[in-house]
Amino acid sequence: MTDTKPAAREATRTSELRHRLRKHVPAAVLFVLGLVAWEGLIRAFDVESFVLPAPSEIGSRLVDQWSVIMSAAGNTMIEVIGGLTAGVVLGVTVALISVRWEAAREGILPFAIATNAMPIIALAPIANNMFPVTSPVSKMTVVAIVVFFPVMINTVRGLTEVGTGELELMRSFAATPRELFTKVRIPSALPYFFSALKVASTLSIIAAIVAEYFGGPQDVLGQYIIAKANLFVFPDAWAAILVASAIGIAFYGIILGAERLVMSWHVSLRATEAG
Amino acid sequence: MSDSPVVRARNLGKTFGKGSDRVEALRGIDLDIESGEFVSLIGPSGCGKSTLLRLIGDLVPASSGELTVNGKSPQQARLDRDYGIVFQKATLLDWRTVTKNVELPLEIMDEEARSERAASMLDLVQLSDFAKHYPWQLSGGMQQRVAIARALAFEPSLLLMDEPFGALDEMTRELMQQEVLRLWQQTHTTVVFVTHSIPEAVFLSTRVIVMSARPGRITDRIETQLPYPRTVDTRESAAYYDKITEVRESLRRGDRQ
Repeated sequence: MTDTKPAAREATRTSELRHRLRKHVPAAVLFVLGLVAWEGLIRAFDVESFVLPAPSEIGSRLVDQWSVIMSAAGNTMIEVIGGLTAGVVLGVTVALISVRWEAAREGILPFAIATNAMPIIALAPIANNMFPVTSPVSKMTVVAIVVFFPVMINTVRGLTEVGTGELELMRSFAATPRELFTKVRIPSALPYFFSALKVASTLSIIAAIVAEYFGGPQDVLGQYIIAKANLFVFPDAWAAILVASAIGIAFYGIILGAERLVMSWHVSLRATEAG
Repeated sequence: MSDSPVVRARNLGKTFGKGSDRVEALRGIDLDIESGEFVSLIGPSGCGKSTLLRLIGDLVPASSGELTVNGKSPQQARLDRDYGIVFQKATLLDWRTVTKNVELPLEIMDEEARSERAASMLDLVQLSDFAKHYPWQLSGGMQQRVAIARALAFEPSLLLMDEPFGALDEMTRELMQQEVLRLWQQTHTTVVFVTHSIPEAVFLSTRVIVMSARPGRITDRIETQLPYPRTVDTRESAAYYDKITEVRESLRRGDRQ
């Protein structure tokens, strides 16, 4: 178990890689088949592109509009990253404070939970008026509010769902509340925090684009989609949607990578079985 | 160590709940545990053996009577880190390696030379090869040995063990019993050991405290009088079987009272 020879280790690594690649084969095959079927159906039934454009058409529009869409996507990303960061920082801070000090929990939690009831569609036009028209801060605000709740509530849950065994163990060591917090509660909360982050990253892109629909700078994905849809140039709108999805997947992937890095010890990420 | 007992209980009682939900877990417990003893608490479930251990460890407060640990209140003893505890579950922290788990109490107690101390503890429980492993990579018995190393890492005068081998298979269990005896003899720690296994109690202990339920109370105290070191031969000796029978009959008598 401990003294695996280099050659053997190399072999396991190669077979592991092969195994991993094989794992993705079904998804890749399905993806290609789906595209082919989509393209075939559109051509066979002569579907109008305002109903559903063919993938080839979306692809060629994406190439054509690349620089415009990329510029819009860049601006949307700024809103997403700004809002996501603010929402996550706020959510984690509120969670930490409310679990660490009981009085704070009683005071803050009802209001924190109330933010979840806030309909973001209703909030977007108001936020647009709170800040200068050209400022991305209004969109960031909407994103932050949407992200705040799932991050906060999941982190609270992770911080509080510590087994009685661990609590008694720390008590037997006469650990201070602070030590209990840093050595047990925070590490136990990490899996919850990362699941929340995955949900939040997807939500943040939705929130940003919805907020963009209600006006503001034109060089953003939401406005681009609306403008193209109004002009009945649906393949262009689809190309922008494709890019928005790609951003979502990229965010998700980054979070997944960070998760692997930070908590390789966790059940869901364990590389090998016990020997 | 002074001559006063490590654990001293007088008319100790514990009740949980109020009104109609009131349960008397322990009543009138008188018990002295001397330094260096290995004492097992045995009895049917509901006899309060775990509760008694938890009172000693200041994990729950007593309702009535007197209890001192090393001549102090249990709370003071806990704050002074007078005891180490091992539960039925190893309760290792998943995100820490074996070494880091053993170092945990040392970090909290701000001890110097933590890694040397952890290394020598792992050596003691014969897990040096697994120092950098994570808990999930170990078997149940190995995890429990890490928990024992952790409990002993700061050299407490008292080791509290609450059915530590209850979740292990019979063969691992016997190995672990041997291991605990070896550690006990090497470290001269006083051990209070909760179990519901009669052979386990007899094999390990200098003294077996027999308890009975409703309300939880001590019904008998049996000196095992088997010579140490105890080995596989001990398990096959007639004296060992006689003691097991004695404890079993005592448990049955206590149950009828």
